[in-house]
Amino acid sequence: MLLVPGAVGIWLVTGGRTLAASAARSVALAAAVIGGVAAVAATVARPVIDRAWIPDLGVRWHFEVDGISAPLVILTAVIGVLVVAHAWAEQPWAESPQSGSAATYLGSLLLVEAGALAAFAARDAVLFFLAFEVVLVPMWVLISRFGDKHSASARADASARFILYTAVGSTLMLVGILLLVFQAGTADLDDLPAAAAGLSLGQQTLIATVLTVGLAVKVPVFPLHTWLPAAHTTAPTAGSVLLAAVLLKLGTYGLVRLPMANVPDGFARIAPVLAIAGVIGILWGGLICLVERDLKRLIAFSSVAHMGFVVLGLASGSETGLQAALIGNIAHGVISALLFVIVGGLKHRWGSVDLSVVRPALREVSPRLGFALILGLAAALGLPGLAGFWGEFVALVAAWDPAQHTGILRTCAIIAAVGAALAAAYTLRVARIVWVGDEVPAESADAAVQQTPDARSVEFAVLAVLGAAVVAIGIAPSLVFSVTADAVTTLIGGGR
Amino acid sequence: MTLELEWGLLLPALIPVVAMLLVLVVDAIAPRARLAAPVIGALGLAGGAVASLPGVLASDPRLTLCTPAPEGRCMWDGNPLASTLQIAALLATLAVLALVSVRRAGVIDVVMLLASASGAVAVVAARDLGTWLVALELATLPVIALVAWRDRRAAAHGALTLLTTSVVSFGLLVLGAALWVTATGDPTFTGESLATAWAVPERRALAGLATVVLIAGLAFKLSAVPFHAWTPTTLTAGPLPISALLASASKLAAVGALVVVLLPYESVVGARPGPHVVVATLVILTVASMLVGTVMALRQTEVVRLLAWSTVAQAGWIVLPLTALSVAGRQAAAVYAVVYAVASLVAFAAVRAIHGWRVEDGRELTAYQGLLRRDPVAGGTLALALLVLAGLPPGVIGLVAKVVALRPAISAGLWPVAVVAVVAAVLGIAVYVRWFAVLFGEPDGDAPARPRSRRASVGVAVLGAAVLVVTSVFPQLLVGLVS
Repeated sequence: MLLVPGAVGIWLVTGGRTLAASAARSVALAAAVIGGVAAVAATVARPVIDRAWIPDLGVRWHFEVDGISAPLVILTAVIGVLVVAHAWAEQPWAESPQSGSAATYLGSLLLVEAGALAAFAARDAVLFFLAFEVVLVPMWVLISRFGDKHSASARADASARFILYTAVGSTLMLVGILLLVFQAGTADLDDLPAAAAGLSLGQQTLIATVLTVGLAVKVPVFPLHTWLPAAHTTAPTAGSVLLAAVLLKLGTYGLVRLPMANVPDGFARIAPVLAIAGVIGILWGGLICLVERDLKRLIAFSSVAHMGFVVLGLASGSETGLQAALIGNIAHGVISALLFVIVGGLKHRWGSVDLSVVRPALREVSPRLGFALILGLAAALGLPGLAGFWGEFVALVAAWDPAQHTGILRTCAIIAAVGAALAAAYTLRVARIVWVGDEVPAESADAAVQQTPDARSVEFAVLAVLGAAVVAIGIAPSLVFSVTADAVTTLIGGGR
Repeated sequence: MTLELEWGLLLPALIPVVAMLLVLVVDAIAPRARLAAPVIGALGLAGGAVASLPGVLASDPRLTLCTPAPEGRCMWDGNPLASTLQIAALLATLAVLALVSVRRAGVIDVVMLLASASGAVAVVAARDLGTWLVALELATLPVIALVAWRDRRAAAHGALTLLTTSVVSFGLLVLGAALWVTATGDPTFTGESLATAWAVPERRALAGLATVVLIAGLAFKLSAVPFHAWTPTTLTAGPLPISALLASASKLAAVGALVVVLLPYESVVGARPGPHVVVATLVILTVASMLVGTVMALRQTEVVRLLAWSTVAQAGWIVLPLTALSVAGRQAAAVYAVVYAVASLVAFAAVRAIHGWRVEDGRELTAYQGLLRRDPVAGGTLALALLVLAGLPPGVIGLVAKVVALRPAISAGLWPVAVVAVVAAVLGIAVYVRWFAVLFGEPDGDAPARPRSRRASVGVAVLGAAVLVVTSVFPQLLVGLVS
């Protein structure tokens, strides 16, 4: 599951750089599909790999998929296949001579996927950190070499911001992990909760703070989110999708896995701060979305708002809250992937996605894209029956009835509900400008259609898969809930 | 006084010395055999490394040069940690010999390299002040001559800087050694005598002072801030292979020497009052080196100067685990130093492969534009070395080394230092990624021409990169060596 995308990715980046684009694409797609199938098989069969790696550090190759990671593994696998497939619709390497070859691009995509899968499956704290770091350089390559072709300085700035912010987060997380591992005497995530239970409250709080701040950069939680919009705006479509759907999940997954599972009392103490930061993120993201002119940045800020809900769910500390966070995670992964595919496609067609430029109505010139956009926006708004609803709704319910700090969290829940209304306002704004748009005069209709060709073949297939997932999770959230339920109960119950 | 002597344990230091003598003899008999000197030198270095191998694998104590019991003190300890550092220093010198390039390496170069290598080997195993001091100077002084050997004015200036520094450093070391003997009444670095001295307040103060002075003297050799001023000048002015030597083998010798000084402190680390003054000195060195080195490296555009400042920053990382004054700390420092030495050797070798013999000109970052496409081998190895130095996967071993280095400090409760290390690590990533990013771009026209005789440099870069790749996949190979 990890081996195939990883090995093929490395080979493409190093040896296969001279490979023709079409051959590289086929090889990469095959690798992604094999990796994806293996990942799905792994979530069903639940194999365990446990081998000594660096005995002197107590680090082991310990991979295992459990209820909490299973949905994320599947999400990553599916997104991995989709982003590679999307290379047929958009070819960032062909647009400017400065960027690298197709093989480098596809290899980087595969490496990000392999790193993320490894992180989700890792059952050893230090191994988790190493896998977490693996995604940095390939993602940096994607942003800096294959990003927005208009501005080299924007690319450099965005990629540097991405790598430095993430490095701050992950190195802080490393300090937290080492503290925890040293105090508890084991790095195995299965044994850690029991081993760490004996720590004093002060120690727990310290460890939880370091870990949470480190991971909050990755999530990102307000006010550590400033790298995200820049990275999203400049990254190629596939990069944005990976960033939103996979990398951000590493942050929340880490929050669940490390501070929440291992030092629950310490985490509970800092939970109110986290909840407040999450709520500020919801409001801040919503307000910026109301005025933001660049559609890609807008989606990025809406990501900040959505992750705010996830963080709020986590901060409530209850079983419901954790469930909300997990489903919110998956839902946001699917929805933002869908939106970024659309917006990336539009940017590709139009050259920019400035909302202040009046353009022909999307619903008329390219109905498929238009429909997908409306579906994505509606899901992002949290419309019942679509994926986004469950994450937000359950998070609010959980925050209303938290495990601790009832007063603060109830206030947060109320404010978050206001934030959800903001989301409605900004999604409607986008829908009005892009979907309803300007009336297309009959005589120039052909030109408009030519300027904005509708989604076809691969792009359409990618959109269809993501759209179907949005609807499926929305109608039957129990798909996810049932997988995570057992693991959630043990996690919350085991820590106490 | 009789000494118990076991020749086998001394072989790693003796073989290079014998090789050195052989080179001189052969040169006297057959001065025209120009290939003889480098070949004998290489064999001597390799032989020394092979002789150190048993020390890595052995689990029983490997002490020799012992005075008779019951007051027995051993002056030579070939433990796994020392043996690992010995092998690394010898192989690093071998790589530098290759970089000097077989055809150009004269007798003098080879002799100096062998002398410096045998000094480095001896200092990490020495347990008495006399051997330690002599070996340390033996490791350093030949390098000064090597820097000055090429008749460039800048090189002479660099050598002069290094010489001045070395004299000051030597003065400090001698003073420290004298204070140590006064405090402990023992001319060896032994835990028991330090523990006895530590119990008496006056002698404790003296022992602390002695250690601080010794550490200060060693900090010159490690190029740790505030004793780093010679590093950028000398490394940029001298010949590139010798800069590589200063950044790898000399660094390993200095780390080994520092480990020897701090060894006795394990017996007083739990005492009350503890060795706070020593810890404080080490912490100041660590924090200052990391921050100053990284921030200065961030501003450089000349690659060797950048590497020189990065040497300063990495010295901080090497000292970081030593602040814990524990076994794990010593091992971590050795692991980090070895990883750093290999990575910096690869970087220097790649730079040498790109610029050729006349390395003094145009070593600006802009000359590396698009190197990965222009010159995949040199570019690829350089990229890997930079990632290892930055501690980013796929240079996993660099990251593992950082984990290893942070662990002892955190377990000793020095986590404020760890937080500084986090800042330094992130700034460090910025430093190396700046260079890394340049490698990726589109090659432009005015790139330096590829030198012709670069087989040796490419070979060193590739071999070093292979070591980095293998240890990245199996970090245990390296981490397990020292314990």
